[in-house]
Amino acid sequence: MLEAHDVFKVYDTRGVETRALDGVSLEIEAGEFTALAGPSGSGKTTLLNLFGALDSATSGSIRLDGQELSELKPAELAHLRLHQLGFVFQAYNLIPVLTARENVEFVMELQGIPAAERRERSLAVLAEVGLADLEAKRPLEMSGGQQQRVAVARAIVTNPRLVLADEPTANLDSHTAERLLDLMEEMNREHGVTFLFSTHDPMVIEKARRVVRLRDGRIFADEARAA
Amino acid sequence: MPIEGALLGTVRGLLRPSTWRIALRNVARNTRRTAIVLTAITVGLSSMLLAMAINYGMIFQMIQTAIRTDLGHVQVHARGWSDQPGIEWTLSQTRTEAGLTPAPGKVLAAAPRVRGEGLVFSPRASVGVRVLGVDPVREAELSAVAASVTEGQYLGSEQRRVVVGERLAERLKVGVGDKVVVSVQDVLGDMTGEAFRIGGTFRTASRDIDEGVVFLRIGEGQALFGLEDAVTEWVLLAEADGDEEALREEVGARLGDEVEVSTWKELRPFLVQMMDMFKQTGWVLYAAIFIAMAFGIANVLLMAVMERIREIGILMAIGMAPGRVVASIVAESIVLTGLGVAGGVALGLFSIEALSGGIDLSRWSEGLVTWGIPPKIVPALPEGELWVPVGIATITALLASLWPAVRAVRIRPAEAVRHI
Repeated sequence: MLEAHDVFKVYDTRGVETRALDGVSLEIEAGEFTALAGPSGSGKTTLLNLFGALDSATSGSIRLDGQELSELKPAELAHLRLHQLGFVFQAYNLIPVLTARENVEFVMELQGIPAAERRERSLAVLAEVGLADLEAKRPLEMSGGQQQRVAVARAIVTNPRLVLADEPTANLDSHTAERLLDLMEEMNREHGVTFLFSTHDPMVIEKARRVVRLRDGRIFADEARAA
Repeated sequence: MPIEGALLGTVRGLLRPSTWRIALRNVARNTRRTAIVLTAITVGLSSMLLAMAINYGMIFQMIQTAIRTDLGHVQVHARGWSDQPGIEWTLSQTRTEAGLTPAPGKVLAAAPRVRGEGLVFSPRASVGVRVLGVDPVREAELSAVAASVTEGQYLGSEQRRVVVGERLAERLKVGVGDKVVVSVQDVLGDMTGEAFRIGGTFRTASRDIDEGVVFLRIGEGQALFGLEDAVTEWVLLAEADGDEEALREEVGARLGDEVEVSTWKELRPFLVQMMDMFKQTGWVLYAAIFIAMAFGIANVLLMAVMERIREIGILMAIGMAPGRVVASIVAESIVLTGLGVAGGVALGLFSIEALSGGIDLSRWSEGLVTWGIPPKIVPALPEGELWVPVGIATITALLASLWPAVRAVRIRPAEAVRHI
């Protein structure tokens, strides 16, 4: 499904070059629940961004279902993100001026789904993440955990093939983080949604069925676990 | 990003209700900043509208003064008069009147006149003047002079009476009842003169009329100039301003090639030039206000974009296409400008209405009267004039949003989502 082959990513900050990824090759299959683990600066978020078509590699190849991402134009990349991927970020994931339901609906509106269907699906998915009664709340009226659950609802409402989650539990207490992970695990198990996390949270690493460990921009361990 | 694709995406984005919903909520997000920008637009626009209305009020009143004291909307003269105006270009009063009967559509009043140059003498002074022989009853229907008499009486049945402006009376050092001599060169070129008494004095908003015209009865004017029953002009007043062109066509068709029919615009092109000049001045005012407004809006939107880098990055990450990002900024600009323009137009119209009783400029009346402007200015805005700032404001909003929109589109989602 997702392939990285000999990927390098070098950041140039005022003439100072930083090698974030140093020849990474990795394959992710459909249905995986995988964590990219490593300390800060190890390159896990960079790799996640490349897989999510949010950034481009300095060299190497990133393919999604055989499609080379570097060959796509910005509008085509936006189209790919809209129709095939879902994102959950560390925090402040939501549009503050929209309610929980509107945030979830918005991505469907971008897809051109009719209003009635948008409403039905957004309410269903909010109920699925346990937020049916908060649909009219705006992000600032919700806790961090509730906001992250809305972000998950938004990420899965379009039935994406792959959800990329960048440190989704970083700003949550352990209880809330566990509930969120359980929710994503359930989505993976019941709906077959592929999840790829970047994290250094032991709880996420523990729940992942595959853990790819990075250090200094290189993969140094790739462990598969029993479901 | 191909331009056509981005433009199409922007247009499609602007057609989405959610784009406007988000724009409205974003405008309401930072109330203090929005209030400052809206106040600037509202005050700027309303001040500009009021300034324009005062300008237009002045020029309209100037035109009205000229029409209602001298020109009328349309004048009829013998063909050739406009090449070298003079007493020798005459019309048969009865034949012209027959041609104008029944009165052309939309004519409020019509009056014959005898117009020539002359000198008026008093025991103490003499002044070069225009001598206007008028039919007192008909003239009163189209000229404001009859209603502007301040002392004595307007022309009536009494013989050998003249009416002059207060300023002319002052120069001649005469008053009502005093005797003056009006001397002219008649149609044969001979000098001739008659003695008259001052029957009344008047004051209008025109220094030209107040200081340089002697009004007398048309029969006495004809006798003075040796014209028998001929007149030099017919003056017509239309029912409404703006009808003069149609009236000219109709009168011209009725009276044929022997006459030339002119509108007040042709008789006094200076007034048309003044109106054009006011319009040009208006464009300068519009430009100044809207350039300032454009920078204000661009500044606010740019700040909003910089504040929302992460938010825009997330929107792009979840699949919002560049054109839609541009649409969201453009929509916010239009909402902001729309509210400001609505406020500005409302406040401007309210101010104009509040001053509809007139602005008293009598302190400067000595200067204003030279231009035919009355000392009380009533602001007036032509209907079409209101759409000009609205149209320009919309264009300004679009232009002002381009810079912030380009900044927003250039945001790289991978960096933006990490932005704090």
